[in-house]
Amino acid sequence: MLLRFVTRRLAVAIIQLIGISLFVFFMIRILPADPVARLVGLNATKEAYDLAAHNLGLDQPWGQQLLNYLGIYSNRPGDGVLQGDLGDSWVTSAPILEELVRFLPITLEFITYALLIAFLIAVPMAMAAATKPGKTADRVTFVWGLFAGAQPEFWWGLMFVFFFFFQFHEWGFPSAPAPLGRLNPMVSEPHTITGFILIDSLLAGNFRAFLDGAHHLMLPVFTLVFVVSGAIIKMLRQNMIRVLQSDYILYARSAGLPSRQVGFYAMRAAMAPAMTLVGIFYGFLLGGAVPIELIYSLGGIGEYSIRSILAFDYPAIQGTVLIIAMVSLLIYLVIDILHAAIDPRVTF
Amino acid sequence: MSVQEIVRPAAASNLVMEARNVTVRFPIEDAPEVTAVNNFSIQIKPGEFIGIMGEPGCGKSVAAQALLGLVRPPGYLASGEVLFQGHDLLKMDPEESRKLRGKDIGMIVQNPRYSLHPMYRVGQQIAKVYRAHNPVTKQEAWDHAIAMLRMVGINDPERRANAYAHELSSGMAQRVLIAIALSSKPKLLIADEPTSGLDVTIQAQFLDQMWENVRQTNAAVVLVTQDLGIVANYCDRVLIMHKGSVVEQADVHSFFRSPNHEYSRAILALQREETSEERNTREVKVDSTSKPLIKVDKLTKLFPIRRSESKVHAVDGASFEIRPGECLGLVGESGSGKTTAGRCLLRLVEPTSGDIFYRDLNLSKLTRDEFRKKRDKLQIVFQDPLDSLNPRWTVEQCLMEPLNLHSTMTAEQKRARMQELMQLVGIDPGQIHALPKEMSAGRQQRVSIARAIATNPDFIVLDEPTSALTPETTAEIIRLLMDLSRKLGIAYLFISHDLTTVKYICHRVVVMYLGQVVEVGTKDQVFNTPAHPYAKALLSSHLFPNVENRRVDRAVRETLQGEIPSPITERLPKGCYLYGRCPSQKDRCKAEKQELKTIGDGRQVRCWRVAEGDLPIEVAVGH
Repeated sequence: MLLRFVTRRLAVAIIQLIGISLFVFFMIRILPADPVARLVGLNATKEAYDLAAHNLGLDQPWGQQLLNYLGIYSNRPGDGVLQGDLGDSWVTSAPILEELVRFLPITLEFITYALLIAFLIAVPMAMAAATKPGKTADRVTFVWGLFAGAQPEFWWGLMFVFFFFFQFHEWGFPSAPAPLGRLNPMVSEPHTITGFILIDSLLAGNFRAFLDGAHHLMLPVFTLVFVVSGAIIKMLRQNMIRVLQSDYILYARSAGLPSRQVGFYAMRAAMAPAMTLVGIFYGFLLGGAVPIELIYSLGGIGEYSIRSILAFDYPAIQGTVLIIAMVSLLIYLVIDILHAAIDPRVTF
Repeated sequence: MSVQEIVRPAAASNLVMEARNVTVRFPIEDAPEVTAVNNFSIQIKPGEFIGIMGEPGCGKSVAAQALLGLVRPPGYLASGEVLFQGHDLLKMDPEESRKLRGKDIGMIVQNPRYSLHPMYRVGQQIAKVYRAHNPVTKQEAWDHAIAMLRMVGINDPERRANAYAHELSSGMAQRVLIAIALSSKPKLLIADEPTSGLDVTIQAQFLDQMWENVRQTNAAVVLVTQDLGIVANYCDRVLIMHKGSVVEQADVHSFFRSPNHEYSRAILALQREETSEERNTREVKVDSTSKPLIKVDKLTKLFPIRRSESKVHAVDGASFEIRPGECLGLVGESGSGKTTAGRCLLRLVEPTSGDIFYRDLNLSKLTRDEFRKKRDKLQIVFQDPLDSLNPRWTVEQCLMEPLNLHSTMTAEQKRARMQELMQLVGIDPGQIHALPKEMSAGRQQRVSIARAIATNPDFIVLDEPTSALTPETTAEIIRLLMDLSRKLGIAYLFISHDLTTVKYICHRVVVMYLGQVVEVGTKDQVFNTPAHPYAKALLSSHLFPNVENRRVDRAVRETLQGEIPSPITERLPKGCYLYGRCPSQKDRCKAEKQELKTIGDGRQVRCWRVAEGDLPIEVAVGH
């Protein structure tokens, strides 16, 4: 059952990915932009311009460009997407796949931690808020939701850096590290296996790198937790309140279940829809955590995609969109499987 | 678990519970508070089966919950005490009363499937409640859950314990609730309309089971219900509530014999009239030799299932006739196809095959447009009166519509006709500008009826016209329908699962099961000597409000095994549709399709054993 569901979903995902690739491929070529001019400069001669266009393959008709990109009936050296090659960046000349493999885990790592922590914070807070609406816990979560969710994350990032790095340092407290990347330059970077710095350093047994990595991740993760937890708490609280009024909770009470047990009953029912929200956040944050990546100089995939777009780096844009879409679809799939594990009414 | 283990010595005190002057109020913004329950008092002895009856909103459910010390917010207990073994439940601290709930006082509610948690296995839910009140290990609790499921009559309890609520039928889910409620051997069981929404055969199975179980444990039961049949057949004593107060409290026998309060007399009206002179003058005489007004021949309706070859067999070759002025009852449980059959008759649902004749006209051969012109003679009244009236239309607009569509009257004539209609159905002329939601359900149904008779029809399909109404209004509507038939000579197809009203109003009865007609006969034939095994079981399961022949007093309580199979092509039984549930089945029934055959006394029965005289027709035990 599960296997069939996963196979079917993956098949659909492949069709979606093909659609997305084609769409992006043609859309960026329709845009009124001239990547060649951007590379060679406005004062370049006609010859230099044509040469550059030829080197980039932009002198070919769109159909041939697409074939070259895909890697079938290609009239240029090198493989295409179907052979697993996303091409080289026009800006850095490095293979795009290599760059993505470097940048994607950076973003994945800190949003994964942030969403996990946000969910873990949200569950007890929503439970406390929903069991006694209008009481202290409820007010606190209400203010938290308004306060944290209403202000943009770059602002919170700035504030966090100012207080926890600058002011704490001034006051002589233990402070956060400078917002300059994932590790102190003095610490030797662990060999890349998963690209997650905490996991890689543990695998390498490099404890110093682990602590330093955690130290550097602290502020970006908490900035994100602060921003997204408001929404998750609000949704959980809303679900909890609805569930608490349901017939089965009333019946659980009339059957004399202890209130802790009743709380668990309600939580389980309230959690499933909130997990979908976390999944949506995940997909969104993959490309949308740019402000935090920039403020803490992490260099994630969001930052990379912005850079590619500003440089009209077609292959990089196509590759980034494809990879982000792929990861998002996988995450949605995982969330759906988890949802079904919690709620037996969901069938594949 | 054996019977001996379950039996407990009688409680030392001779009362299980006593409630004194309980008052529950609901605050309403910008209005005076509503007193939902006013000075409610009750004394419950061990092993007693007490019914609390009343119309919706009379406070009976609120009173039952108050006995547990619970009130749905924002309501509150204004005064009174609920003494359980000498302690006042309302003054206990929450943890103490929590310990009593579910242990010494069990509760069953309506909507069983929504009252079970959707994400936990039902066995776990029973075990959790058991563990909340008893010091046992998880394994012991689970074993107990399975023992409880077996005790409440669930087949294969080990497998069912692993099911989730949505995988169970309502009848099965209701049994799970009773397993939860009885798991700690309570001294008192409070059941709040436990069988509303269940079919009669399932209802009988369930109530029998509950009755057996509490007799074994000597628990007292407070049963909240709207159904006179349940009260008459199971309860020892009954409390009648009206507008928040108890208006009558009596032993069931004396209650049915001589109700004291005016309201009690109103709800017992139909039963009390049945034998009286008044009924004879009300009954319409039908010439049984006259030509049929409506003739249905092999009517079949199949609903396709998306992405599947198989179909839902809603109506499976139904044939019957209706004579002018006759009321034909169409009875069966949910899923028997009776509603679909009624709709096919008026082509509100297009039949898949079969013919419908109105006098000499084959309705099924008409084009939609030709048929539309006939609709003034063929009308329908639906179950839910509020749903079937346009919420923004006044009574006047509702009644004008058919006149505008089907008549050539002048405005003056229409107004006169409307006055006449309102008088016929008994609506106060002052209500002409009222909207549906401003009227009671009974009034709404009167408007629906007036609308149906506006164009002088010959024939009306009454699709469960009284099942959304209280017993009191049901009696009024049934009388109205009979009066109209007598005055205007209208024939009815009366579709209902309520055999009590069918018995009162109909001349002949058609019994349907799984889309097939299994028996057609006169009212007396079907009700007094049902021939088909399904008709027998249906009649026997139906709880007629008759205290002289209570179901619990019968030696044999005939009922069917299991539940109705779903009417999907490949799931339908090969031979007789009742095979597998029938108490009289033989090997031959398994593969042999059954035909509707006329037997000696003129009725038609779909059972070879009856047709060949192999199964004797006896006087039914039902009433």
